[in-house]
Amino acid sequence: MIAQPADASASFGRGAHLRKPVARTDAFEASQGWRAWRGVAGVCAALLIALAGVRFPAAYGQQRLVRLTHDGHLKQRPSWSPDGRWLAFTRHEGHAIAVYLRAADGSEEKRLTRRTDPEMDAVWSPDGRRLAFTFDKTAPNQGDMDVYTVGPDGEELQPVLVSAGKLSHEEWPSWSPDGQWLALTSTRDGNQELYVVRPDGRDLRRLTSDPALDMHPAWSPDGQRIVFATSRWGDLELASIRSDGSDLVRLTTSAGLDDYPAWSPDGRQLAFVSNRTGNFEVFVCDPQGQDVRNVTQHPAIDTFPAWTPSGGLTFVSNRDGGFDLYLLPAVPGAGR
Amino acid sequence: MLRLGLQRVCGDGRISRRALVYAGGLGVAGLALDDLFRLEASTGQAPRRKARSIILLWLWGGPSHLDTFDPKPQAPVQYRGPFAPIATRVPGIQISELLPQLAARADRFALVRSLHCRSNDHGIAGTIGLTGSDAGGMSLGGQVVPGALGPAHGAVVSKVLGFDASMPRFVTLGGHLHQGKRPIHGEGGGPLGPLHDPLRADYDPAQGVKLPQLDLIGGQSADLLSDRQRLREALDGQLRVLERWPAIDRLDQFRRQALGLLTSPEARQVFDLSREGETLRRRYGMFRFGQCCLLARRLVEAGVRLVQVNWSSHVEPVEDTGDGGWDMHDRNFQQLQDRHAWMLDQALAALLDDLSDRGLLAETIVVAVGEFGRTPRINEKAGRDHWERCYSGLVAGGGLRVGQVVGASDARGELPVDQPVTPADLFRTLLQQMGIGTTQLTTAGLTPRGELIEALL
Repeated sequence: MIAQPADASASFGRGAHLRKPVARTDAFEASQGWRAWRGVAGVCAALLIALAGVRFPAAYGQQRLVRLTHDGHLKQRPSWSPDGRWLAFTRHEGHAIAVYLRAADGSEEKRLTRRTDPEMDAVWSPDGRRLAFTFDKTAPNQGDMDVYTVGPDGEELQPVLVSAGKLSHEEWPSWSPDGQWLALTSTRDGNQELYVVRPDGRDLRRLTSDPALDMHPAWSPDGQRIVFATSRWGDLELASIRSDGSDLVRLTTSAGLDDYPAWSPDGRQLAFVSNRTGNFEVFVCDPQGQDVRNVTQHPAIDTFPAWTPSGGLTFVSNRDGGFDLYLLPAVPGAGR
Repeated sequence: MLRLGLQRVCGDGRISRRALVYAGGLGVAGLALDDLFRLEASTGQAPRRKARSIILLWLWGGPSHLDTFDPKPQAPVQYRGPFAPIATRVPGIQISELLPQLAARADRFALVRSLHCRSNDHGIAGTIGLTGSDAGGMSLGGQVVPGALGPAHGAVVSKVLGFDASMPRFVTLGGHLHQGKRPIHGEGGGPLGPLHDPLRADYDPAQGVKLPQLDLIGGQSADLLSDRQRLREALDGQLRVLERWPAIDRLDQFRRQALGLLTSPEARQVFDLSREGETLRRRYGMFRFGQCCLLARRLVEAGVRLVQVNWSSHVEPVEDTGDGGWDMHDRNFQQLQDRHAWMLDQALAALLDDLSDRGLLAETIVVAVGEFGRTPRINEKAGRDHWERCYSGLVAGGGLRVGQVVGASDARGELPVDQPVTPADLFRTLLQQMGIGTTQLTTAGLTPRGELIEALL
């Protein structure tokens, strides 16, 4: 069952009904004092409810959200180290896109490397000893994206899959649970398709062959399947295939794009992004694409979900103005 | 002036052609057409639906029309891309699902889906978009199109309305446009001279508003200079520099104007975004383009007649990673979804709301367009290449007829099939709406380019 958005008007554009733009007039500005009083009243009401032992619906547990960063720069693809001590993420700052490592307790943050060309979308290997990431060589000017691995100390840079002969883009690596393979996308054969390859670049295998776009693979914790986003049925929907490319199964059918799938550590849930309610929210569902729940429910953009080793969700949101990382320590509805 | 005010007006409320010609003559003697507009207004029968200002959101690099304002869901998968269309507030009009806030405001804008131009080179198409002609445009290879380079649309406005020492007519927010290392011709006054070049400003998320032409003031931003003590210290220091500067007497009017802007507290406040509430600033978006749109609103509110907001200086998104251009030969869909589309959606929707709430939308034209569109057929790198044969633009406000689509493209978005129009047609129409028509242009010594798009008027 799909959770309904907190603001029903957020479903505008999907044919539900039209949303009138909020009138923002001088009177609106003048009403700030009244709003402040309403805020106080709201806090009092919340306290009363809490004291009465009434639990908030899980999907509205935004009070439990932890904001991890405060710089507001655009960010993408967070990834927790297997031991939960480090969070890798990509930050856009000025003319730079770089991967950063942030200590779980916030005591330390450092760049993964010191290179000037854009680096992005780093993801930890299952043993925590390597990070696979996308390396964008900007020369001459079109960009040339390749997948490399590097140690957590930024040393021992090793190519996984690079352009061969002509410009192509390899990106969005995802480790197999045994660390012996990486799933990724490449345009090397004339369209964006899914591939798997050994971390040292051997045994490249193409998994999909469709004129649509296939992107953002996520390898299941049991190693059996790879979930990805595809445009073969219209706009982006989630699908899964076996790790040998067989047995394509469509997981979502929504009036909106579904993208950036991420497996929970126990393999029982998938997190993904969808704009099916009118703006980008993070949803979770079971591995068959059923029991879909909106876990962010906020009019801001919520995207790039990533699970913590203990089953929490980290995502990127601009709910406080700029784009920052947030942590939902417990996912509403998990463990049912 | 008095005599002009007694001129007969035409039946439709417009001042007679003779009066306009006379006014043009007066312009030579110091009476600019701006005075004419005031006189028109004083008659109480000023032309209806006349816009006062234009905000040009210059989507440098060329957005994909199929993925923004002209979706083709029925086209083959190799064309339509991974984004679906959504309904808008106007029945029958659909735009990309990446633009939900604009969809909710479709009654406030018109889409022109039949734009086309004569070049798929950023340099030449950029010149066409900014001046209405390819003359003087420079290609990626460095070849220059024969003919005299025309003035930018903002320079035309500046010329016709006359130079204003207290407030520039034409402001560009953003750096100089270029492709690779080659500059784009046609951003400034051109044959009209540097007096009609734009005043340039920009917004940097880390530094606030920047006024590069005011680098006389030690590189301090307008935000920083909002502190009176710091301003006084900066100016004291600057005066000492100026006193030693032998070229002080050769400061042209333009720099005097710029310096005047900074030293006039009232004028300087226009550039001080900290005077806006945090809520409104967030509504525009705390990224460069969003804050530039807010700055554009402040500028037109203060009297600037054409504000050009450059999405970026580079055409390539990879070159300017925060909010680089729309030239998405590669990874078009990823970049649209992750950055460009929502940035445009949020900032432009906020701009329309803000202008409307302040009663400015009726007199301010907002136009969002790039130099061309992108290939309907997706290339082998999940991108789209240059496509000048058909693309889209958005216009709003200024008394234009909105809530409609003008023109149409074919089933794959490859060619216009109804009402094909050029960038020259578009800006001829917008200038007309500002009261700058054939008479005003020729009186100012300018050659009118393009035809009016009647459906917008």
